[in-house]
Amino acid sequence: MSMKDLSVNVSVATNSCRGTRARIWAGGLFLLTVGASLMFFSAPARGQAAPSVAQTDVKVVIGGDKIKNNSVGTLSVVGSALQFAAGKKKMEVEASSIVDISTNEDSRQDITGAAHFATMAIPYGGGRVLALFSHKVDVLTAEFKDANGGYHGTVFVLPQGQAAPFKRQLLTMGAKASVPLAEPAPANK
Amino acid sequence: MKHHTRTAVSVVSPVVVACVLFLMVSSVLGQTGSGDSKSKQKFSASSIQVEPTDPGDVPMPPEFRMAVYENLIAQIEKTGKFQHVYRSGDKDAASAPDLVTLHTMAKSFTKGSQKKREVTTVSGSTSLTLAVHITDHAGQTLVDRDVQGKVRFMGENLRATYDFSKKVANIVRESF
Repeated sequence: MSMKDLSVNVSVATNSCRGTRARIWAGGLFLLTVGASLMFFSAPARGQAAPSVAQTDVKVVIGGDKIKNNSVGTLSVVGSALQFAAGKKKMEVEASSIVDISTNEDSRQDITGAAHFATMAIPYGGGRVLALFSHKVDVLTAEFKDANGGYHGTVFVLPQGQAAPFKRQLLTMGAKASVPLAEPAPANK
Repeated sequence: MKHHTRTAVSVVSPVVVACVLFLMVSSVLGQTGSGDSKSKQKFSASSIQVEPTDPGDVPMPPEFRMAVYENLIAQIEKTGKFQHVYRSGDKDAASAPDLVTLHTMAKSFTKGSQKKREVTTVSGSTSLTLAVHITDHAGQTLVDRDVQGKVRFMGENLRATYDFSKKVANIVRESF
């Protein structure tokens, strides 16, 4: 009797153990499926994240790393980085590594006081707009540090009015700027 | 009538030739930079670190400063005088035994006009003058010069920074 009961109990115990194991397996499988599906859905989303700001026909004037000076390509903010792609070549600068970002609007805004009077003395009206390029384009200058602490500078030329959105976006992502974002300039007469 | 034309040509052509010669000579002199009175002593160093341009009181736009800095690095690398050309802040520079440092400080800046240059060829030149200091590991000055970069005739304003960097590279070639 006792032996029989024992055997029954053992079989019941074995059955319940199998059931628990099956449940654990099913649970594990479920978690694995959910986890894998999350991974597969999230990975492409990160890799192909739609750029929050993008602009074609941008010229990298200087400092494009492996990209030749004066190459034309697409400038965008992808994830938390400023990205420039020209053909197959690409350069990427993390927003957090940018120590100063400026636009040509900042240069105009920055010239005040004594310096403003000094610029008035520049012949041929050069002091009016003290910039490297003409009025009809925007200039975006990014100063940043590489992984080794090395200081870099890159100058982009964009269509007019397109530099500020990049600066605004990068500032929200941790980039620094010595001159705060300029108010939009009044329309030309 | 013919006689008058000949006379005019004979008077005008030497003047034109003289003007061209004057421009050529001044251009060559400009290449050598100003403040060239120091003796050409040679120094030795295996690595150089380039610091960003200090604008000082001169209202120099950031794109101009960056163009100077990046052009300087490219041109100094081209000289082949140093095993390493370090950027400012590069951690590896700290361990370089005989490191020299290149400092530049803006002294003057005149923005010209590409259009005026192309139309008149006389007015509208862009120029910048920067003080160039090269110091050794102990901070002692090895080179102290004022160098001017210009774009006189054709080309964008940016050419002035390229011209400046080429002249600094020549000084580096002479000094090391």
